[in-house]
Amino acid sequence: MSSTFGVGFRSLLKREILRFVRRPKNTFLPPAITNVLYFAVFGVVLGQRIDDIAGFDYIVFILPGLVVLGAISNAFENSSFSIFHGRWNEYIHETLTSPLSYSSMVLAYILAAALRGLVVGVIIVAIGLLFTPVPLEEPLFLAAFMLVIPTLFAALGVVGGLLAEDFDHLTVMNQFILRPLVFFGAVFYSLDILPPLYRTLSLLNPMVYMVNGVRYGFLGFQEVDPILSLGVLSGLTACVVALDVYLFKRGYGLID
Amino acid sequence: MEPAIRTDGLRKSYGDVVALDGLTFEVDEGEFFGLLGPNGAGKTTFINVLVGLVRKDGGTAEVFGFDVETEYQEARDRIGLAPQEFNVDRFFPIHEVLEHKAGYHGVPSDEAERRAEEALKTVGIYDKRDTRFDWLSGGMKRRFLLARALVTDPDLLILDEPTAGVDVQLRRDLWGVIERLNAEGTTILLTTHYIEEAERLCDRVAIVDSGRVVEVATPDDLRSRGTDQLYLTLDETLDAVPDIDLDGVVEARVDGDSLVVTAQGGSRLAPSLLRELEYEGYEVTNLDIRRASLEEVFVDMTRTDDEAEQLGAIHQ
Repeated sequence: MSSTFGVGFRSLLKREILRFVRRPKNTFLPPAITNVLYFAVFGVVLGQRIDDIAGFDYIVFILPGLVVLGAISNAFENSSFSIFHGRWNEYIHETLTSPLSYSSMVLAYILAAALRGLVVGVIIVAIGLLFTPVPLEEPLFLAAFMLVIPTLFAALGVVGGLLAEDFDHLTVMNQFILRPLVFFGAVFYSLDILPPLYRTLSLLNPMVYMVNGVRYGFLGFQEVDPILSLGVLSGLTACVVALDVYLFKRGYGLID
Repeated sequence: MEPAIRTDGLRKSYGDVVALDGLTFEVDEGEFFGLLGPNGAGKTTFINVLVGLVRKDGGTAEVFGFDVETEYQEARDRIGLAPQEFNVDRFFPIHEVLEHKAGYHGVPSDEAERRAEEALKTVGIYDKRDTRFDWLSGGMKRRFLLARALVTDPDLLILDEPTAGVDVQLRRDLWGVIERLNAEGTTILLTTHYIEEAERLCDRVAIVDSGRVVEVATPDDLRSRGTDQLYLTLDETLDAVPDIDLDGVVEARVDGDSLVVTAQGGSRLAPSLLRELEYEGYEVTNLDIRRASLEEVFVDMTRTDDEAEQLGAIHQ
C-alpha cells in the first residue's frame, strides 16, 4: 500500500495541478486583469491623490493586500471547485474508490490549490512591478506567510466544496464571505485611520493578520505582531486540514 | 483461500427505505458471479458498500478477506469498478484519465501509460485516446468504463449493468472481453437486467429482492426449479384433458391440436407421461419440451405479494 506521499498522492496532485495549469484563461488571466485594474485605478488614478500611508506610496501600501486577496481567492476557488465539480459529476468517485488514504486525498487537493494561490500571488507582484518598485524587507516572513495563507484557504475550500449543494453556494462563499472580510481586512487602508471601536472590531477579522503579515514581509511595516500572526494562522491551518481529513473519513458530502 | 467477497448481515437504510436488509453471501475467487434483481433490489447499494461509496449501517463486508471499512485501502486496491453512471473526469483526454486512475492505485507513470494504452486497445477505442469522454458515443462510453476498471489490473472486477443500452454487437464484444478476463483468473461480479447475459456468463447467480438474497444457485439449478412445458401432439383431436396422475404435473390443458402439460422437471417426467397416455389409449406423434427460462424463475422469485394476488385474480 502506497504511503501518504506515494505514487497515488503524486498522481492526484499532478491531476489537480494540470487541471488549472492547462486552463490559464480561466485560472490566471482573470486575476491578472483584475489586478491591472486595481493597480491602475486605486494605485495610479486615485493613489496620486492620496497621501502616503506610514511613509509608503499608496500603490505600494495596497500591493500586499492585493496579493493576499488574489492568493486566497484562487486557493479557495481551486479546491472548492475541484471537489464540488467532482461531486456534481460524480467523477470524484475515481479518487474515492481508489486505495488512496483519506489524508493523501486531502493533502493533494490542498497543496495543488495552495500552489495556484501562490502562483497568482506571484503574478500579482509581477503586475505590481509594472507600476511601481516593490520592496522586499522580510523575505523569510513573506515566504512563510505566502505558504501558510494559501494553504489555509485551500483547506477552507475543501470544506466549501464538501458543503456546497450547487454552484451558487460556491459563489456565495467567495463573494459574500471572503471578499468582504478581505476588503475590511486593511487591504486599502491602515488600521490607524480607523476610530478605536472599528479598529478593535477589525482585529477580530482574521484577514487583518494575513494582510499585516504579508505587508510586513514586503514593507517591514507592521500593525500586529507578525510572529503571533504566523503562529495563529499556522495553528488555524492545521485545524482546518484536520477537519478536512475528518470530513473525508466520514464521507461528508461524498458518500451516502 | 479467502473468498473474493464475503458479506454477512449487511444492512443499509435511507430513512424509512431499507436498501439492504441482512444481505449475506459469498463469491469465490475466480468465480463469475451474477447479481439479479428488480430495480431497487439493493444491487448498486451493495456494490457501493464494497467500494466505499455507501457507508453500511450494520453487518460485515470483506473483499479477499479485507474489511471494506477498516482495511479499505487493501480492499479497494483489488477492485475494478465499471458503474452504471458515466462518472468520468471531463477535464482530460481519456488516456490521461486512465493514467490518473492507475496512478491512484500506486502504478508508476510509465507503467500507467502502458496499461492505459493496453486497456484502450482491449476495449477497442485506442484511436479515441486523445478525445475527452463527453465526445465519445454512448457505446464508446460503456467501453471506456470497462477500460477504466481494467487499468488497475483488479483481482475483482465489478460490472454494474455493463451492457445497458448498448447494441447487440457491442454487447457480444464486451462479453468476449469479460469472459477472457474471467478465464485468466479475474473474479467477476456482474449485475444485469439481461437474464440471457447471466445465463450465458455466470457460474452462479444470486437473486436479490428488497435488500435480501432470495436464492444463490447456478443458472441450470435455478432453471430446474421452474416449470417446463411439454407440448404433445396426439393422433386424435382431444375434446377433454386426459386424466394424468403423475407427481410434478402442475397443469394440463388442450391447446389446439396439442396437449400442453406444465410440470417441474419436464425431461425427467416425459417417459412416464408418454407411458401413461399410451396406457389410456392415446398415441403421441410428437413431443416438444420447452424448458423454464431463468427469466421465468427470476420473475417468480421476485414477484411481490400484490403482483401475485393480481395475477391470481386474472387467472381466476
